[in-house]
Amino acid sequence: MTSVAWTRRRLAFGRFWDGFRHERAGVIGLAVLVAAVVLALAAPLFIGESVTNVVKGTGDRMAAPSLDYPFGTDESGRSILLMVWWGSRTSLLIGFLAALLTIGIGAVVGIAAGHFRGWIGAVLMRVTDWFLVLPSLVTALVLAAILGGSTLTIIIAIGVTSWPSTARLIRAQTLAVEARPYIERSKALGGGHWHITTRHVLPNVAPLLLASTTLEVASAIVTESTLAFLGVSANKTSWGTMLRASYDWGAVNQGAWWYILIPGLCIVAVVMAFTLCGRALESVLNPRLRKAGV
Amino acid sequence: MKKLFARLAVLGVALLVAGQGQIAHAQEPAAGKKIVRIGATQAVDSMNPFLAVRLVSSSIHRLMYGFLTVPDPKTLQPSPDLAESWTTSDDGLTWTFKIRQAKWSDGKPITAEDAAWTFNKVMTDDAAKTANGPAAENFESVTANGQDLVIKTKAPQASMLENPIPIMPKHVWEKVTDMANYDAEVYPAVGSGAYIAIEHKKDQYVKLKANPDYWRGAPKIDELQVIFYDNPAASIVGLKKGEIDLIGRLSPPEFEALKGDSNIVQWNQQGRRANYLQINHGATTSDDKPIGDGHPALKDPKVRQALHYAIDKQKLADEVQNGLAKPADGSIVPPMYTDFFWEASGDTKVSHDVAKANQILDDAGYKKGSDGVRTMPDGDKKLEFRFSIHTDTPIEDKLAEYLTGFFKEIGVTLTTKKLDSSKFTEETGTTALFDIAISGWSVNPDPEEVLATHLCSRRPTASGEGGGTESFYCDETYEKLYQEQLKELDRPKRAEIIKQMQERLYTDAPVIAIYYPNDLEGYRKDRITSITPIPENNGILYGGSGFWPFYTLDAVAAPAAGSAESGSNTGLIAGVVGAVVVIGLGAFFLTRRRKSVADERE
Repeated sequence: MTSVAWTRRRLAFGRFWDGFRHERAGVIGLAVLVAAVVLALAAPLFIGESVTNVVKGTGDRMAAPSLDYPFGTDESGRSILLMVWWGSRTSLLIGFLAALLTIGIGAVVGIAAGHFRGWIGAVLMRVTDWFLVLPSLVTALVLAAILGGSTLTIIIAIGVTSWPSTARLIRAQTLAVEARPYIERSKALGGGHWHITTRHVLPNVAPLLLASTTLEVASAIVTESTLAFLGVSANKTSWGTMLRASYDWGAVNQGAWWYILIPGLCIVAVVMAFTLCGRALESVLNPRLRKAGV
Repeated sequence: MKKLFARLAVLGVALLVAGQGQIAHAQEPAAGKKIVRIGATQAVDSMNPFLAVRLVSSSIHRLMYGFLTVPDPKTLQPSPDLAESWTTSDDGLTWTFKIRQAKWSDGKPITAEDAAWTFNKVMTDDAAKTANGPAAENFESVTANGQDLVIKTKAPQASMLENPIPIMPKHVWEKVTDMANYDAEVYPAVGSGAYIAIEHKKDQYVKLKANPDYWRGAPKIDELQVIFYDNPAASIVGLKKGEIDLIGRLSPPEFEALKGDSNIVQWNQQGRRANYLQINHGATTSDDKPIGDGHPALKDPKVRQALHYAIDKQKLADEVQNGLAKPADGSIVPPMYTDFFWEASGDTKVSHDVAKANQILDDAGYKKGSDGVRTMPDGDKKLEFRFSIHTDTPIEDKLAEYLTGFFKEIGVTLTTKKLDSSKFTEETGTTALFDIAISGWSVNPDPEEVLATHLCSRRPTASGEGGGTESFYCDETYEKLYQEQLKELDRPKRAEIIKQMQERLYTDAPVIAIYYPNDLEGYRKDRITSITPIPENNGILYGGSGFWPFYTLDAVAAPAAGSAESGSNTGLIAGVVGAVVVIGLGAFFLTRRRKSVADERE
C-alpha cells in the first residue's frame, strides 16, 4: 500500500516538475529565490550584526557608489551593500513566517467552513467576511502599535490581517472536493470529519495552498516594508526600515539615489520572484489553466 | 497613531497636502496689502493666555499683549515694555513699576489696575495658574495706584524682571467667570501688542492685523497669518510652493531639504535648546520614597560618569544632527545665553575616552562576563539599560543607534524603548519606569525655570501627581544654590551661582547634556524683505523669546487680483474628478475583460 502510494507520489512529482520546467518565468523566479535564501542564510558566515552599527560606519555620509562601497553609503556612513545583505534576513524571515501563519489560519478556517455546512460554516464565513472588509494595513498598524515592536509581533500583525482571502479560496476548493462521489462513499464507509478533512480534502487543496503560499510570501514582504516605512518595525535592519531611513534622512534631496533604489530593487526582485513562482505553480497545478495537449 | 496616518497621507495624497494651506487666504481680496504667513507644525491650544501652554500659542500671545518687561532685542537683558521704569526696596521685597501711558486696542487707557487684576487673577484663581502659575507663586500682594503697580513678594526674587505673564485688559476679562472653560474666541481681541487677533479657525490658522495705535508705532506689514500644519513634510512643501513665507524649528533633514531653492533663505544660528539624557539615578517621590524600576547600577555616580566618558558628543553632533548642533561641554543652559552659560574645563571636563570609561567600571568592580557585558559587583544582574525615546522621531532613533554602539564598547547593553508622547511623559516624569531617557528644554533668557526642574519639590507626589521634574534630582548642594540665586539681585553674582548649579549637574550627572541643536528656519526672500532676529546679531526668528522679529518684519505687497488662487482650486477639483472617472472606467473595463476571459475559459 505504502510503496504504491510512494510510487504514485513520485510519478506525480515527476509530472509536476516536467510541467514546471516548461514555465520559463517560474524557473527564473525559483533561481532568484534560491539565490536570495542561500545568501540570507549564509550571511553570518561572512558578516555580522556589526555592519548595522552606526558607530562602526567607516565611509562618508551618503557617499556615492565606489570600489570600497559598491552600492554607496547611508546617512551614517554604513555600506548599503552590507546593510541590504544583512537586512534580507529580517525581510525574508518575516515574509516566510507571516505567510505560513496566514496560510495556517486560512487553511484551517477555509476547510472547516467548507466542511461544516451548517451554522458553524456560516459563522466562520461571517468572521472571514468581517476580517476581509477590515482595512488590513491600518489594522496591522494598530495591532503592531499595541503589541509593541518585535519580529514576532510584526509577523502576528501581518498574519492576522491577511488570512481571509486564503480562507475563501480554500473553502471554495473544499466545497468542490466534497461534492465528489468518493467523499460520499467514504462517509458511507464510516469516515469521520477528521478522516475526510485530513485524508481527502487536505491533499486535494494542498497544491492550491502551495501556490497561494508563494504569493502570500510576496505580499507579506511588501506589507513588512510598508509597515516599516510607516514607522512600525522590529528595530532591526530590513529593506523596509532602510527605505524609511532614506525618507527620514532626505536621500531624495541629497540625490542619494542608491539609498532608495537598492533596497527598493531588492524588494521588487524577491517579490517578483515569488510571484513568478506562484503563477507558474498555479498554472501547473490547476487543471483548468493547463494547456490542451500538455 | 495620528502621525502614522499623516505619513500615509504623504505616501499617496500629495495633491491634497498641497491644497491644505489655501483655505487660509482664499476668500478676501488681498491686493496691495502686506500679508506674511508663518507656518507652524503645532496648532494653538487656546487663545486664552491664562490657559495656553504651547509654544505657538505663547508666541502669538506675545504679539497680542504687552508685558511688564521684555528681553532687550540686542542683549536679551530685561528692558521696559508696559512698565517704563521700576524701583526696588532695600530689602528686595517690594517692587514698584510705573505703567506706561498707552491705550488698549479698543481705545481705553492702560493702567496699573489692569496689571494688578491680571496678577491677582493668577494668584487666586487655580484655573488661571495653568499657563504661568509658578511666576506668581512668590507674590505676597499686588496693588495698583494710578499708574503705579506695587508688587510685594514673600521672599526676594531675582527673576522678577523676566515675568512671563502677559498683562490683560481688566475691563474685558473681569466678566469671565469660569476661567477654566473660557476659550477667548472673541474677535477682534482687545490687546496692547503690535498685532490684534481677528480670526482663529481651530487647527487651521490664526489671523492677526497690525495694531495702528501700538505705542512703539504700528508694524510695517498689514496682516500676519499663522498657519498650522499636521506634518513637517507638508510645511516644507508649503514653503517651497509659497503657501507660507516662513517656518521655524526645523529638524536638520528638513532644513537640508530647503537647499538649492534660490528664493528661500536658510536660517542657521545657535539655538536656545539643550538636549540631554535623563538618567534614573534612583528616582524618589517628594516624600523620599523610591519609585519606578530604574536599574540599580545607575545609582552609582561612577557608572553615570563612565557612561558620560563613553559618549562621543562631537560624533553625535556631526552625524545625528548633521553638524547643525554644538556638542555640549556644559549642562542645561545653551551657549546662546552668554551670561549664564557654563562650560566645563580642566579636570572637571569629561571628553570622549573609552579606555577611561572602562577603567572606571573595572575599578568599581563591574566585571565583564563571557559575553562582554558587565555585571553588578554584588550579584549577577547585568548592566542592561533601557533607552526611552518617542515614537516616530528619526533623530531620536538615530541617537539611540549611536548610544547603543558607544555603550557596547564599555560592556553596557542598551535597548531602545519607543513610547508615544503621553506615555513617555508619564514614564519619565511621574512613574519613573525608565533607565535612561532622551530629554531637552528650550531655555528662556532667564534660566530659572529650567534650573527649577531639578529641584526636590518638583518630584511627583506619592499619589503620582507630577511636579514637572526633569530628573527626579534632589540634592542638598543644588537646593542651597538655588535658594541663593533667588535672593541675589546683583546680576553678575547671580550668574556665578547659576554656573555653580550647572557644574553640580555636570559632575553628579543626573542628566548628561549631549548637544545644543542649532536654530534652523527658512523663509522666502521674495516675500519677506527684512526681518530682525532676537538677539539682533545672531538670533532666532520664530519661537524666540520676544515679539521683536515679527514686529520688525517687512514684506512685499500682495499682487492685485487673486484669480490664480481659485483657478488652482478648480484645477484641483477637476483633477480629482478626472482621476476618479478614469479609475472607475478602468476598473469597469478591467472587470468586463476578466469576465469575458473567464467566459472563454469555461
